[in-house]
This record gives sequence, structure tokens and C-alpha cells, in this order.
Amino acid sequence: MAIIHKDPPLQRDEPDEATGPRKLGFVRTFSKNRMGVVGLVMLLVIIFVAIFTKQISPYDPYEIIDVTRDDVLAPPSPEHLLGQDGAGKDVLSSVIHGARISLTVGICAALIIVIVGGVLGMLAGYFGGPVDTIIMRVVDVILVIPQLPLMLVIIAVAGRGIVNIILVIGLLSWSYMARIVRAQVLTIKERTFILRVRSLGVGHLKIMVKHILPQVAPMIFAEATLDISFAIISESTLSFLGLGDPTLISWGMMLNQAFLRGAITLGAWWYLIPPGLALAWVTLGSTFLANAFQEIVNPRLKTHHLFDERKIVRPLELLDKRMSRMVQPSTTKVEQVDIPPKTLLCVRDLTVEYQTEAGNFRAVENLTFNLEKGKSMGLVGESGCGKTTAMLAVLRLLPEVGRIIDGSVRFRDTDILRVSVGDIQNYRWNNMSMIFQGAMNALNPTRTVGSQIKEAMQIHDWGSKLNIQEEVGRLLDLVGISPDRASQYPHEYSGGMRQRAMIAMAIACRPDIVIADEPTTALDVMIQAQILDLLQDLQRELNLSIIMVTHDLGMVAELCDDVVVMYGGWLVEHASVDVIFNNPRHPYTQRLLGAFPDIENPGDELASIPGAPPSLANLPKGCRYHPRCHKAVDRCAIETPNLYEISPGHVLRCLRVESDEI
Amino acid sequence: MHQRLDYLIRRLAFSVVTLVAVLTFNFFLFRIIPGDPVQMMVSPMMTKETRDKIRQVYGLDKPLWLNVEEFQEDGEFEKLFDSQFAYYIRNLLKGELGMSFRQRIPVSEILSNRVGPSLLLILSGEVLGILFGTFLGLIAAWKKKSMIDASTMFVSLTVWALPPFWLGIIMLILSRGHLPMGGLVTPGTIYASNWEKILDIGRHVILPATTLALMLVGAYVLIVRNTTLEVLAEDYTLTAKAKGLTPLQVLRYHALRNASLPLVTIIAMDLGYALGGSIQIETIFSYPGLGRLMFESIGQRDYPVLQAVFLILAVVVISANFFADLSYTILDPRIKS
Repeated sequence: MAIIHKDPPLQRDEPDEATGPRKLGFVRTFSKNRMGVVGLVMLLVIIFVAIFTKQISPYDPYEIIDVTRDDVLAPPSPEHLLGQDGAGKDVLSSVIHGARISLTVGICAALIIVIVGGVLGMLAGYFGGPVDTIIMRVVDVILVIPQLPLMLVIIAVAGRGIVNIILVIGLLSWSYMARIVRAQVLTIKERTFILRVRSLGVGHLKIMVKHILPQVAPMIFAEATLDISFAIISESTLSFLGLGDPTLISWGMMLNQAFLRGAITLGAWWYLIPPGLALAWVTLGSTFLANAFQEIVNPRLKTHHLFDERKIVRPLELLDKRMSRMVQPSTTKVEQVDIPPKTLLCVRDLTVEYQTEAGNFRAVENLTFNLEKGKSMGLVGESGCGKTTAMLAVLRLLPEVGRIIDGSVRFRDTDILRVSVGDIQNYRWNNMSMIFQGAMNALNPTRTVGSQIKEAMQIHDWGSKLNIQEEVGRLLDLVGISPDRASQYPHEYSGGMRQRAMIAMAIACRPDIVIADEPTTALDVMIQAQILDLLQDLQRELNLSIIMVTHDLGMVAELCDDVVVMYGGWLVEHASVDVIFNNPRHPYTQRLLGAFPDIENPGDELASIPGAPPSLANLPKGCRYHPRCHKAVDRCAIETPNLYEISPGHVLRCLRVESDEI
Repeated sequence: MHQRLDYLIRRLAFSVVTLVAVLTFNFFLFRIIPGDPVQMMVSPMMTKETRDKIRQVYGLDKPLWLNVEEFQEDGEFEKLFDSQFAYYIRNLLKGELGMSFRQRIPVSEILSNRVGPSLLLILSGEVLGILFGTFLGLIAAWKKKSMIDASTMFVSLTVWALPPFWLGIIMLILSRGHLPMGGLVTPGTIYASNWEKILDIGRHVILPATTLALMLVGAYVLIVRNTTLEVLAEDYTLTAKAKGLTPLQVLRYHALRNASLPLVTIIAMDLGYALGGSIQIETIFSYPGLGRLMFESIGQRDYPVLQAVFLILAVVVISANFFADLSYTILDPRIKS
């Protein structure tokens, strides 16, 4: 399901872009980020204090005044809101004046960092080769040497002074900026519009300044914000340790004096707390601001797999007016038939919705079928028809935006949609397992294949029944992988082997049902045949029920006893494999078969179905298939077809077939 | 395997180059100030015998880098290296680090007393930081966008924003009366039992170690949380969930392993920062380690000690980075280059 972004995120790498990404909506996106706004305000306050120091400060801390003994480390009083320091001076004024020093150091040092780091990073990233290597080695060396000790040692030798401090901080801290800029430049360098400009013969300098620099600028800005606060902290640390400029009052110097004059033992908290708070204020503000920039430049993931499941919505909630994007609710249910004793899985009226910021989309509606022990079922349909969604729903593995609205899934006698989370964890894998589509990353790359298969068995306590280690070997052997490869990692397996390993893992707990979602997509034909054979063997030997989700009808013909055809979230035809292939009644099924090459008539032209599957945001009225249906009439656009049984074991959803017209 | 070795050799070469750079820098720094460069090595407070001895051991009347004159005179190749730099390297290899200005005993003696406490502090602080950082990071990622996540992030970021020395000050103020104000041992404990001695040291270390941990936890929480967020959105997490693992099991058996790889790198990278922090923390808590030694020697202009401590710290960080690279190749099966 495509999730629509309202504001296009910046700096996303899209290699086929004709021009650079737009900067539209930057201010809007920023103002939505509350953290960023708070950070900006915090910094603005400090800047304000630094500019209007003379106006705000009650006293001038640089002025030499007469003090009495009572003034030394005096607690807060009406004349001195934050008390007095070890020399009798007003603490509040010192804190206010400190802002100027800190900001000066911060901004100047940050400037050095931006210039040196930015230029070197740009050069390294743009030119690559020896230039890159040399610059990056220097960066690495600087980054490894511990920074504060280095600064201490240099200042101790070079002398205390504000210029020295700014220079030392700036010249030792640009490494990180260089790295970041270089990384960005490397990405941007390969973008289409840069390549085009280069082929036009534009000079290097112009490319770097006019084309690449604007792209890197937001990142530089974000990092510079952090660098300002970092420089401020560095200066205060140097001052605290006794290497600050003795002629200036900075927050670090204040704390140095406080410490040396025993403010801690004397409990002079008014002298100790404010300068530190000021430092924290600046750092927090710039961290928030920088974080906000980061979020805009590199939007983070919105969700992951471990979320708290929400309860299944009961039908009554369908009438909620807020769900205005809903299509007309289907009301038909297949007659409640007595469930035959050999039924393993009984799915009734399964309805799944994706609830996103862009609206609610019905991906599956009123799906109904039975599956008997030992029988296999094919679930076919075009991409996006809801097959995978339906199967994820059965095991309650939908993503966070997916919600099961209605229906029941009975495994043997229990409705597993309504059992507790703990119970469904027991059913998972033990009774029903799943092989996911595109097994590239379905196995954890940092763990051995064997350990992951072992895990499946350990979770379900198979250790008490058999020797797990041996069983892993046996399973791998069963799928045609040498058992000593159990100690290898997924990246050491080929694509086909990984898929077979997934199958081995899927049958590890001797489940009754294995759901195979497009198990052979992205594999070459020879491997496909191997996997197919393997599945057939397993079916036979283990009396396994396989639900094969695929758009490959050939595979269905080989493996399955029953077929469910889906279209646009609906079940449109459900029958035995014989009936589907030899006597399909639904127009869609008929066309689907026509689109497949027939081995008996290889020269026949392949039919294709004009048009595209319906967008779930804009479902057709009446029958969902009618816009593409070769047998549609006017009323198909108005009336909604219901599921009905045309003959025992053959279910259909078509108005015209139901009324015997076709 | 071959590629792993390749990678390691390159990292070793890099460490060596950095080490050489640090040694050279250290040598260079204390001899480039205008005026008598000998000032840095010889204090006017020392007796004539000591000053002469130092001149001899350090070859302070010889040229800086290479002794071209004597080589040209004598023709012996060895004489080329009869220079200060050569003396410097030779002395380092012997463990000869100079004489402290203040204490007039060899620097190496002073250092050896201080290494133990610093080691104890750094280890305790790091362990605490890693434990809390990992735990909070995993939970914050799992309960993304909840109150737990938001408050963990807020507190971590806030604590991380505080300058370490100020953090120490706050801790001291808060713990007045409950825990010792500083130092490593309470006077008189030499008469106590071994167990009491250990407890006493523990009571002295707990506050500085916690301060160090707080300093680091912000970075650790952030990296663990970010990595875990990525891990939890991967396909193999869905597979794990489909296998019937509970969220805690997923965190323990899948997320933890994957998140610990970047954590190892961050720990090594932040070790320099941790050492810098320990300088501040030891100062605040009057803790008798290398960090406090550095602070003292700055105030006392005890340059030989200053140089030596810097050297030790640099060597430690360089080695730690190398070992981090080493362990990364062991932990991450995907490292090929």
C-alpha cells in the first residue's frame, strides 16, 4: 500500500531526478516539528541576552567595586537576585555577560569548523582519489586523539587567551563536519542533474559552489548548530579547568572560581547552579534545533513490527461517520454451513482495512473459504488484489496501519482472530507457518541459519521431544542443503538456498498449514522448478496443507486442490482446480486463464485484460471488476454482486452468472 | 578470512601511524615555544645536579631532529641520530618520562600510582553507562512514540547536554551528607578488614562512576535506539514475530545482537570523550586518578607530567579503537572489507 506524503521530504536520493529536489514546504515542515521550534526559541533568548547585555544586566561585573566581607558568597537578596560570588560581585550580571563570551566563542569556532570542515569535506568528496585519502586519513587521526587532553596541552603551552581558545577549538573540531559533508557530496555527486551539468563542461569550482553546495547546506547548517554548542561547552570546560581567558567572565570561569573558592562545601548553590543551567540551556536548544533539521533532511521510520495490536473492530463500528471514505458495506455472508470435521481452517467474511493518514482503504472484503487437512489451496490474483494482506491477517501479522475490521478465522475449533496475543504466539509456526515474499532479508544476517531454525523449535518447546541440533540437520537435508551449512550465515547462501532454508524453517515445528507467499518470485526458472518439486514432496510426505499465494497459475495446477481467485480485495471465484481450469464461470477467471500460455496450443495468442486493477482509494461502484469485464452490462455498475454457491464447492461473485445470463 | 586479515592489517597500520603522529606532536609541542625550550624540561627550582642529569638523559644540548653536523664531522651513520628526538624515543621505550617539576621524582612513579584509580573509575562508569544505555535504548525503540520513549529521550538528551563538570557539581550537592565528598579512601581504613576496604572504595567510586555513566548514557541510548528502530522494521523481525516470538524475545535474540555492533564502535569512539570527562570528574571529586593529575599539573605548570599523561591517554584511545575494529570483525559476520 502506498502511503502518500503530504510534504515531499528533502534530500531523498532519487537517482532518476531531472532536477534537484525542491525546497518547498521547508518552513512549513519545520514549524510542525515542535522540538525544533522550542530549540529555536531557546537559542533566540540567548542571542537576545547577548545583544542587549548592557540593558538587561543590573550591574557591570567588570567594574571594580568595594566589597565587604558580608558580600562574599552572599545568598540571593533583593539587590542581588542570584546572590553574590566569591569576589562579592553580582552573580546574575556575570551570567548575563557570560552569554556574550559564550556566543562569541561558539559562533567564531563554528565558523572555522564550517569553513575548514566544509571545504575539506567538499574537496574530498568531489575529487575522490588521493585527495580524498589524504584528507580522510588526517580526519581519522584527529578524531582518534582524545580531544580535551589535546586542547589542554596546547593551551597550557600556547597561553590562555580568547583568540587561542577559539583557534584551538575550531581547528580541532572540524573533522566531524568534514566527514558529514563528504558523505553528502558523494551521494549528490552521482545525481543525474550533476552528471548532466558536468557533461556540459562546467568547471569544477562552479559545480561545487553553485550546484552541490545548496544541496549540502541544510546538513551543514544542522551540524553547525551542534558545533556552536559544542564549542561553548569546550570553552567552558577549558575555563573550568583553569585555562580560560582570565580577563573575561565566562560561565566556565565562574564555575572555576566557584569551585576553587569552596562554593560546594559552603553550599553556595546560587553561584553554582545558574552558570551550568545557562550552559545546559544553550546545549539543549541547539540539540533540539539540530534534531529538527535532521528529521527534515532524513525523515526517520514511522513504524516497525513490534507494536501493540489493536482489537478487532466489531461490525457495529462500521457505522462510524468518520469513516467517510468507505465504499458501500457488503452485507452478504455465505450461508452458515455445518463445518465438516476434516476442516483445518475456516475463514469467514474476513475484512481488512489499511488506516493511514491519507485515508482508510479496504484491502480485503468478505473473504470466505475452507481448507481441509492435507488439501492445498491456491490464492491467485493480480498484484495488489489483497492476497498477501489476507494471509498476513490470518496470522495477525499485519503492519501497524492494517486493521482487521470483521470476520473470523477458525483454526480447528478456535477463532484465532479473537484469542489473546499470548495464544496466537503459540499458534504461530506450530500450527501455521509462513514463507514470505522476497526472502532476501527474511533471515537475520547476523545469526547463523542453523541458529534461527533452532530458535523456531526452541520457542515452541520442541527441545523436550527431540534433539534440536540433529533435527536442524535433518530439516536442511530434507530441503536439499548440506547439514554442515547450518553454521553458515544467510549471506553465504544463494537466493534459492535461502528460500529452501526458509522452507526448512517453516516446517520445523510440523505445522498443519504452510502459507507460501510467492515463494519463487525473483528466482530463476530452474530453481523455481526445484522449489516446486520440493513443495510437492513435502506435501506428500508430511501431509502438509499449503496455501500458495501466487499469480502463477501453472504452479497452482501442479500443487493445489482448490483455487481462490481474488480481485480488488474480493473473492470472485472459488472452486476445485479442475473446475477452475476446465470450466471457469467468472469472467475474470476466464481472462486470467486466457493470459496463460497453454502447452497444448502453444501458438495461441495470449489474451490480456485491458486496464489496471482498481485503486483502493477509488473503488468502482457496483461490481469492482465491471470496468474491465468483457461480459459487463449496465446493471453491473449499480448492483453489488454477492457471494453465492453455484454448485457444491463452487462459489462465485457475479451478477450475471447468478442470474444465469452467462 | 583473507579479507578480514587485510582489513585488520590496514587498521593496525593506521593505529601505528596515529601513534607516531602523537609521539611526534608531543615531542614537538613542548619544544617550539619561543625562548629556552629547555624550560619545559628543566625547572629552575631543581638542583644543579638534577639539571645536568636531565640535560644528559634528554640530550638537551643536541639538535632537535637530526644531528647533521656531527655526522658530517665523524662520518659515522649513527651520529646522524644523535638528536633530541632520538633521545626522546629511546627514553620513551625505556619508560623514562622525565622528572616532575613539583615533586622531583620520576614522572613514571607518579603515574603508576594514579593509573589504578582511573582504571577503576572508567571501567565502572562505562559498564554502568552501557548497561543503562542498552536497556533504555531497546525499550525506547520498542515503545516508540509512547511516554516511555519520549521521557527516556528527553532525560537522556538533557543529561547529555549538561557539561560533565557541572553534572559532577550537582551530584556532589545532592549527595552531601550521604556519600563521601571526594577522594578514594577514608583515612583510617588501612586498619580495616579487606571487605571493609572494598566497601569503602565502592562508596567513594559510586558517585564519580555514576556521573561518568550519566555523561555517556545519552549517546549510548541514542545509538541503541536508532539501530533497534531499524532492526525492528526489517523483514527478519516480521519472520521472528511469525515464528511466535514475544516482543521481549525479539529484542533479546535479534535486536540486541544487531544493536550491539554499532555500540561497540561508539564506545571506542567516545572513549576519548570519556577520558576527557574523567579529567573533569576526578577534579570535582578530588579523585586521585590520572585526570586529576592532569588538572593539578596544569595549575602547577608541571610540564613533564602534563606531557606524560597526555601521551598515556592518547595511547589508550588509539589502542581501544584498534581493539574495537578487531572485535567488530569478530562480531559482524558480514565484514568483508
